Order: sequence, then C-alpha cells, then structure tokens
Amino acid sequence: MAEVVTAEELAREHEPRLIIRHTFWVRVVHWWTTLTFLYLLLSGFALGYPRMAWLLDLMGGGQSVRFVHPWAGVGFTLGLIFMVAVWLPSMTFRSVDRHWFRNLGEYVRTGHTDTDTDKFNAGQKAYYWFSVVNGLVLLITGIPLWVPDLLPREWNLAARFSHHVFFLMAAGFLVVHVYLSTARFPGTFRSMTSGTVSRAWAAFHHPRWFRRVDAGREHEGAD
Amino acid sequence: MTTTDLGLTIRRQSATPASGTNIRRDHSTPALEISKLVDIDLCIGCKACEVACKEWNDLQVEETHLFSGYQSHPDLTPHTWDLMRFNEVELAGGALAWLIRKDSCLHCEEPGCLLACPAPGAVIQYENGIVDFNQDACIGCQYCVSGCPFDIPRFDTVTKKVYKCTLCIDRVSTGLEPACVKACPTGAIRFGTKEDMLAYGNEKVEKLKARGFTEAMLYDPVGVGGLHMMYVVPRGEILEQYGLPVDPTVTAPTSFPSLIGALRKVGATASWAGLLAAAVYFLKTGKRYPPPEEEAVAAAYEKAPHG
Repeated sequence: MAEVVTAEELAREHEPRLIIRHTFWVRVVHWWTTLTFLYLLLSGFALGYPRMAWLLDLMGGGQSVRFVHPWAGVGFTLGLIFMVAVWLPSMTFRSVDRHWFRNLGEYVRTGHTDTDTDKFNAGQKAYYWFSVVNGLVLLITGIPLWVPDLLPREWNLAARFSHHVFFLMAAGFLVVHVYLSTARFPGTFRSMTSGTVSRAWAAFHHPRWFRRVDAGREHEGAD
Repeated sequence: MTTTDLGLTIRRQSATPASGTNIRRDHSTPALEISKLVDIDLCIGCKACEVACKEWNDLQVEETHLFSGYQSHPDLTPHTWDLMRFNEVELAGGALAWLIRKDSCLHCEEPGCLLACPAPGAVIQYENGIVDFNQDACIGCQYCVSGCPFDIPRFDTVTKKVYKCTLCIDRVSTGLEPACVKACPTGAIRFGTKEDMLAYGNEKVEKLKARGFTEAMLYDPVGVGGLHMMYVVPRGEILEQYGLPVDPTVTAPTSFPSLIGALRKVGATASWAGLLAAAVYFLKTGKRYPPPEEEAVAAAYEKAPHG
C-alpha cells in the first residue's frame, strides 16, 4: 500500500520556502463557514430584498430556501464555535495591537505597519471578534424568525429588523475580508487552499509569528 | 351596456417592486371599493356565517371543543377562517354583557401581511380592497403572521403555507356577495361599496348613541389605512374585550426596506464604482507577485535571522 503523503509534508520536502499557516482541519472549518455563509448571504438577499427574489428560484424555490436557511445558520454557528475554540489564544488582543491600530492609516495606504505582528494582526483580530459577535446576534435574532410562535409579534418584527441590520454589516465586512486576503495581498489565499504561505510573506506580514516558527519554537501552523 | 368594474385589477403584490400598469382597466374612473360591515348590535351569535364559510370554501370540519361560553372552536385555524368569538364581561355598573364578534380577515387598506411578505405575489391586494393569499407563491416564512396586527393568518404545519379569509373573491368576482353575508339571518353582516357601508355604519352608530350606547363606534382604524371589513361596535369603551386592538398599526420594522431606500442607492453605487475601480487598477498594474516589498523584508531577515 502506497504511503499517504499529506500536503503539509509535500510542502516541507519540495518547497522549503513555504511554511504551513493553517492546518488541514482549520482549512476544512474555514471552508465550511465560507460555504454556509455564502449560502446564508445569497438566500438572505433573496429573502430580504424583493429585487433579489429571483435568486429564490435559482436556489431551489422559496420553500426550500426558507427551510434550509435556518439550518445553514446552525451549521455556520458550529463552525464559529470551532473557530472560537481553536483561535481564542491567537485572537486575544495584546498590547502590541494598540500600535497597529495607531498606524491604521499607514496600513490602509501601504498595506504594512512596523508592528511586530504575531499570528494575526489587530485588524484580523477585530474582524474575528466582529464575526463571532455578529454570528451570535444573527443566530439569536434568527430564532424568532425561524419559529415565530415563541414571541409576541412586536418581538418578531424587532428581531427581523436587527437580523437585517447585522446581516448588512456582515455582508459589508465580508467584502473587505475577501479583498484583503486575495487581491490586496497576493500570496495570502493559498493559506486557505494548500495551507501554506511563503517565508517572505510570513516575515513581511507576521514577523513575530514567523520568528517563532522559524526557530522551531512553535509547531508550524498550530492553529 | 357597460359591465360593472368589480375592481379586480391587482393593486399591489407582496415583494414586487412596481405594480404593473393594467391596460384593461379604464383608469379615468376610480375602481369600485367594496367592504363588509359587521353590525355587532344585530348579531345573535348563530354561527351561520362560520358554517357558510366552511361550506363555500370547502374547508375540512374540525372538532368542536366543549368549554364554557358560546364559541365553537378555541381559535382560528388554517381550516377555520371565520370564528364567532364570545366573551362574557362584567360592565362598570355590575351588569353582564355577552360580546360576540365575527373574527376573520379585516382586509386592511395598508395590509401588514402584504408589506411583511418576502415572497413575490404571495399576498395580493386588489383594487377593490380585497387582500388575498396565493398559496402557490407562499414560502411558509410566516412573516405575515407577525406583520398582521389582528392575528389573522394561520400557518398550516402540513402544507407549510398560510391561510385566511379571501373575502370570497371567487364569489365577488362574479357579482355575488360573500358566503357569510348570504348566510347571515339577521342582516348583521352587510356587503357593498365602502362608501355605502360607511354611510350605513355612521347612521347605525348615531342610532345606537340615541339608544344609550354613548360610546358606540364604527371600527375603521386609520393606523392600517382603514378596513374592508368594518365593525359597528355598540360598546366602544371596551373595544379590547371584543378582541379588537384600540390603535392597530403597521409598525416600522415591517416596512423596513422602504426605510433604507436611500441607503440602498448609495450602497449600490459604491459597490459598482468599487468594482470598476478595482478592474481598472488591475488592468493598469497587472499582478504583482511575489510582491517586491515582501522579498526585501525576507532578504533582510535571512541575513540576520531571529533578530
């Protein structure tokens, strides 16, 4: 029987200039949340905006969408719980993040600050916490829309309003997230496919994390 | 000979941005607006309207429940669109009053169900004022249930769709009165143009006042733009005991999409402009990979690692 060689091992052997940024299961969960969120986003637009209602027909019809959307929300939340469990230490704000926030203007202009960034920079941490809180709010406000008998109608209407507002915020920040991780910083997206990034990418964007990995003080891509 | 315009042109549909122009109707004359009127003073609570509604609309029979009072079923259901609600109350002076009210869809001029519905064409409002559900288009989200200030639409857990009184649109469209109106033995349920019903109602309220019902009123609340099923309520001071909200409104969250209409245009413009700018930028600069600034930092690092 042939020996099974993982993508990680291949990367180590054949491309020494690549290091692992995200392990297999982290990538699986990120794609899980990506797909569930995309479904939620498109079906949400279809249900929330009359002009987008034609999407309902492309997604299996209104009744199917109404049935699947809440369950996709539950699936997304499960991914979110995994992300909280795995990334909590790396995503905790540290004193160095204050420096990054002070240089936010420079980051927007040049795509770089002289912050000694660890695995994630302060912007990534902010997006992470925004996603967690937003996901929770969307789950909670989604429950009365899923099961309308639970609460009085005024609460259902308020839930619908909040669900709408937080949905728009999530959609807006998703655009920023995707833009930064693809078009703005080439070489980033591969951390979600093969899980690797180049040493140059790591040294440029996450010097503190890179030094630890390079010195062997941290298992590559531990989270 | 001209045929009477029964106002069967569609005025509004749920989740449908613009109403189509209808070339069949002569727009120089306003459409006929119809209305039912329930004169609670004349109602004897016989439930003939309930039976007629079941019969005409071919709704399945449901078991009655034995409980105190003169009400056949505890609540409206997907198969019971018309229910005589009974309430025994003690009046201020200590006397008893039996309040009986025919409960069914009130066909609001500003229907909360229609405004809340996200499924195109699932809720339809005709020019004559009838608000009807099209179950073929219904997706079963039950937003209409939350949107209705009168708690009328009922969700069927088997078909996953909502149902309510149609104001017998199939009868009205052929010039007949609704089934409940036809069945009513005392003339408590009336049917005609909105104008005629208003005239009858106002006159009846004056008569009731002369008889000592000083708080008698015609129930046609402005919060929902008026109704196409109005009530003459003898004891207007205890409206809520009849099960009628004092000031029903179509609340702001229901019509949220209109609230952000301006924001929507800004957002759409910004999105398209951003996409266009990104495309132009990409065509101008091409793909920068590997980015030279990263290489510079990495080269410095390789000279002095772990620094």
